[in-house]
Amino acid sequence: MNILIVNEYAANAGNTHAITNYMRVGAELGHNIAIYGPPQPDVVDGWYLPPEMQHARFSTDLKAFDRIVFFFESKLRHVKRLPEVAMLGTFPRKHRYILDADGRFNPYIVVDGYDRSHKDEAEQALWRGYYEALADKIIKPTIARDKDPRVTTLPFYGFDPSEVIKPEHVPPKKYDILHVGHNWYRWKDMSEEILPALEQIRGEIAGDIGFLGLWWDGVPEWAHAMGLEPAYRVDTERFRKLRIKVEPPVNYTEVVHAMSTGRINIFTQRPYLAHVKHLTLRYFEEFCADTIPLLMLSNDLAEAVYGPAGRELTLPGRAAEKILDALRRPDYYRGLVEDVRKYMLANHSFRHRVEELVTALSD
Amino acid sequence: MKVLLVTYVDPWVRSVSTVHKWVAAGRALGHDVAVYGEPKADLPNLKFTTDLTGVDIALFVIQVVSDFPEMPHLVRVLDGITREKRVLVDLWAHYNDTVRLEHDFNHLEKLDNHQGWEWEEAIAAVSDTIVQPTLNPLRPNVGSFLFHGFAPEAVVNPYASAAEAAAAWREATPAAKPYGVVYVGNNWQRWEQMRRFLEQYAPVREEVGKAALVGWDWAERPEWAIKQGIAGIDTDPAMLARFGIELRQAVRFDEVKGLMGKGRFSPVFHRPLFRHLGYATIRTFETFEADTLPMLMLPRDYVEATYGAGALALVPGDDVGAFMKDALRRPEPYWQAVLDTRAHLARHHSFAQRFRELAALLRAGPGPSGGRG
Repeated sequence: MNILIVNEYAANAGNTHAITNYMRVGAELGHNIAIYGPPQPDVVDGWYLPPEMQHARFSTDLKAFDRIVFFFESKLRHVKRLPEVAMLGTFPRKHRYILDADGRFNPYIVVDGYDRSHKDEAEQALWRGYYEALADKIIKPTIARDKDPRVTTLPFYGFDPSEVIKPEHVPPKKYDILHVGHNWYRWKDMSEEILPALEQIRGEIAGDIGFLGLWWDGVPEWAHAMGLEPAYRVDTERFRKLRIKVEPPVNYTEVVHAMSTGRINIFTQRPYLAHVKHLTLRYFEEFCADTIPLLMLSNDLAEAVYGPAGRELTLPGRAAEKILDALRRPDYYRGLVEDVRKYMLANHSFRHRVEELVTALSD
Repeated sequence: MKVLLVTYVDPWVRSVSTVHKWVAAGRALGHDVAVYGEPKADLPNLKFTTDLTGVDIALFVIQVVSDFPEMPHLVRVLDGITREKRVLVDLWAHYNDTVRLEHDFNHLEKLDNHQGWEWEEAIAAVSDTIVQPTLNPLRPNVGSFLFHGFAPEAVVNPYASAAEAAAAWREATPAAKPYGVVYVGNNWQRWEQMRRFLEQYAPVREEVGKAALVGWDWAERPEWAIKQGIAGIDTDPAMLARFGIELRQAVRFDEVKGLMGKGRFSPVFHRPLFRHLGYATIRTFETFEADTLPMLMLPRDYVEATYGAGALALVPGDDVGAFMKDALRRPEPYWQAVLDTRAHLARHHSFAQRFRELAALLRAGPGPSGGRG
C-alpha cells in the first residue's frame, strides 16, 4: 500500500519519529509510506537527528499514493491551502483518513475537575465538524474500543527494541527518582498521589529527586491571563521542602538517555488522555530507558498495554510503598521491566503497527 | 442552470464587480447564480449559498490562494460537486510555466507562500476543465473563457448617438467632470505604463485638465514591497507632484464607474503579464460602461480581437497628448468609436454570451473546448 502522511512535521517530535518507524518497517513489508513535503534537513536547531530520522521519506507526488492520512495534533489548520486543494482533489473521500493524534474526536468532557478534551463545547464542535467534513474514517491511538462505526482504534505508537539504550551508553545514575516531562495538567496526580508519597518516604530516600521539564518551577506569568493556571499549577514550596531538583527540559533525542539517569522514573499522563486511554509515544519510550518505570496508570490499563507485569508497576493508591520497594528490590523490578519489553516486542512492534494500519486503511 | 461561483469576494479588490454581474445577469436570464459561502453584510446584493444540491456547474474563479475556500468549506465543495461539474477559470495565469516580464510574474513564493508547481497541482486537482481569460491560452489543455464581460444595462449613460455623447462630454460642467483623466486601479505592476502615459499627458495637462490616480500605493512604494524586495509597485512622488496628479484612496467596486465618469478620459492598462498573455480583466470591459472616453493602452491586435476594429480609434499609440488634444477638438468620432465598441461588446461579450459559453464548456467536457470568447 502507498500511504501518504500529512502531519505537522517536526524533526524533534514524537509523532514524526513514530512515522519514520512506519516508513522503515513498512518498506520491509512492501509498503511505501512517506510524509507529505519536500525533503527536510538532517540537522534541526543545531541538533543532529538520530539515524532513523535522517532516513525519513518525503514526497509531494500525490499520484504516487493511494491513501492519505491526516494527522491532527494541536492545530486544525496546518496544511498550506494549495497543497490542501491538491490533496482533496486527488484523494477521494473513501481514501482519506484522519489520525486523531491528540484525542480531539471525543465529546467535550472535563476530567478530574480541571483537565478537558477541548477549551469549550464550541471548540469541540469546530473540531468535530472539521473532521466529519474531511473524512469518514478516523483512527484513534487508543486501546479502548469505540462505539462510533467511523472510528478504528489502534495503538499507533510502538516499541522498537533497537531504541533500548545500549549498556555502554547508560549514564551514571544521578537521581533515585526522576520525572521527565513538562508540568502540563499534572498537578492533581502530583498533589494527591506523588508528593504525599514522597513526603511520607523522603527520609528513607538517600538520593536526589529530579523533575526535568518546563513549568515545575512556577506557573508561567501568561498562564493566568489565558485561563490556563490549572494546567501549570505547582507548589514550589512543597518541592523545596522535598529537596526536589528542577532541571530544564531535555531535547527529544536525549529523553531516553536522560531517563536513564534515574533509578526510578515516574510516568504520568495528563488526566484527559488517560481517561480516554490515549496512548502516547512515552508509553513505549519509558521502557527503552535504563530505569524502572513506575506508572500513574490504572492496573487494568497498565496490563492492557504492558501485559501482566504492567500491573506490578502501577502507583495509584500505593505510591510510597511501590517507590520504596522498587528502590530496595531493583533486580526484581528490572525483571518486570524485561517482562514488559518482551510483551511489547510480541504485541507492540512496529511490524504489528504497520500491519494494523494497513488493515485499517484497506477497503 | 444552477451556477455556483467558488471564489473570495471583497468589495475592494479583484473580481467582485464581475461576480456581481454574473449574479445579476443570471437572475435576469433565469439562471440561479450564487457565491459559495455565508452571506457578507458588506455585499448585500450578492447571493451566497452553501447548499450544493442541484448545482449544474461550479465555477472556481481563482486569482489568489484565498479564492479557494478555507477548510472545511473546501472539502465540502470538492466532495459535494463531482469533478465533471467543476470548471476552473485561472484569472491570474497561475496554470502556466513560470513567466517573468519586467517586474511582473505569475508565481512568486515570497508573495503568497506557494511555488508554481503547487499552483499547477492544485488547479489540476480541482478540474479537468481549466480555462483562462484569453483568446489564446498557451497550453493545449487550457480553454478560452474570458469570464469578465460587458453589461449593456450597466452603462451609466447609454447615449443614442455620438453627437449626443460628444455634446454631453464637451459641455460637462467642472462639477460633473472635475478631472481630465481619471485612472481607477491600484498600483500593481503598472507603474512603467503609467509613467509613460503621464509623461505624455503632462505637456497637455492644462488643456485636458487635472489627472487623478485612484487606488492603493500610488503615493509611495509600500513598506511591505520594500521589505520583500518586490518590484513593480514603483512610483515617483516627485514626478506626480510636478505634474499635479491628484492621488486618491482606493474605492469600493461600486464606486469605480462613478469615479471614472468624473474624468473626460480613462486609460485602460493591463499589467505586463496579462498584456503578454492577452488576458481580459474587469477593467477591459467595465471602462466602457462608465461615462468617460476610454483610452486603450493595449496592443492593437488585442484591441481588434477583443473590442472590434472600431475600437482601434481609441488606441492612442505613442502620442497620448495628441490623442487627447484631438479628442477635445473633435470628440464625435471618438465617441462614435466608443458607441461602436459598446455595441460590439454587447454582441460578443455580454454575460448572456458568457452563460452560453459556460454551458458549452459543461457540454464539451474537459480540455480546450467551447466557450471561446
